[in-house]
Amino acid sequence: MLVLSRQRDESIMIGDNIVVTIVDIRGDKVRLGINAPAEIPVHRQEVYEAIQRENLRASRIEPKDTRHLGKAKGSE
Amino acid sequence: MQIRTTRFGSLELEPGDTIQFPGGLLGLEDCRQWVLLADAQNGALGWLQSTTRPDVALAVVSPRRFVPHYQFRVYRSELAPLELAGVKDAQVLTIVGKNERSITLNLKAPIVINLERRLGRQVVANGDLPLQHELNSVPATLKKSA
Repeated sequence: MLVLSRQRDESIMIGDNIVVTIVDIRGDKVRLGINAPAEIPVHRQEVYEAIQRENLRASRIEPKDTRHLGKAKGSE
Repeated sequence: MQIRTTRFGSLELEPGDTIQFPGGLLGLEDCRQWVLLADAQNGALGWLQSTTRPDVALAVVSPRRFVPHYQFRVYRSELAPLELAGVKDAQVLTIVGKNERSITLNLKAPIVINLERRLGRQVVANGDLPLQHELNSVPATLKKSA
């Protein structure tokens, strides 16, 4: 891992087109601003990882697992 | 073109049948080309089948059919790669999962498809939406398999 020190309002460039800026530092919380092209999603890591795990779980579902779907009333 | 699938056997596809997901899906980044199939027995259900990995398919449904008030917000950058002319060109599908109790829907990371352009993307919705929204039914088959 590359480790850099930055102060408030300073930035880091990743590749040609991603810029990460320290917007604010308050106690042990850092606010980051990210400028990246639209195609590159940017999310908190734990959200990303949770979605990856859920996608992989879901990709193992077989038709037999879905037999009761839609037969119960699903209104919420 | 012909593709192999583990759930549905061999399928014959036309070029216009496929949907491109330029970024793949989260955790499935290599799967860039998919086909949307209708389930043979359940009209509410579709299957997003990878054309390159026979064992990878996702059960999908139109979320409002099961969660009538479902809505979500995404950063514009999430939708930009889909080149949608308007909201009407978008089809939203949610991925079906399961846990010990129930069939679930992933409301946090739905799939948005631009049918016109045959482009798709999994977007991450803002806010506290569930990855596993439980539907009310508790199928006997799931209980037995626990």
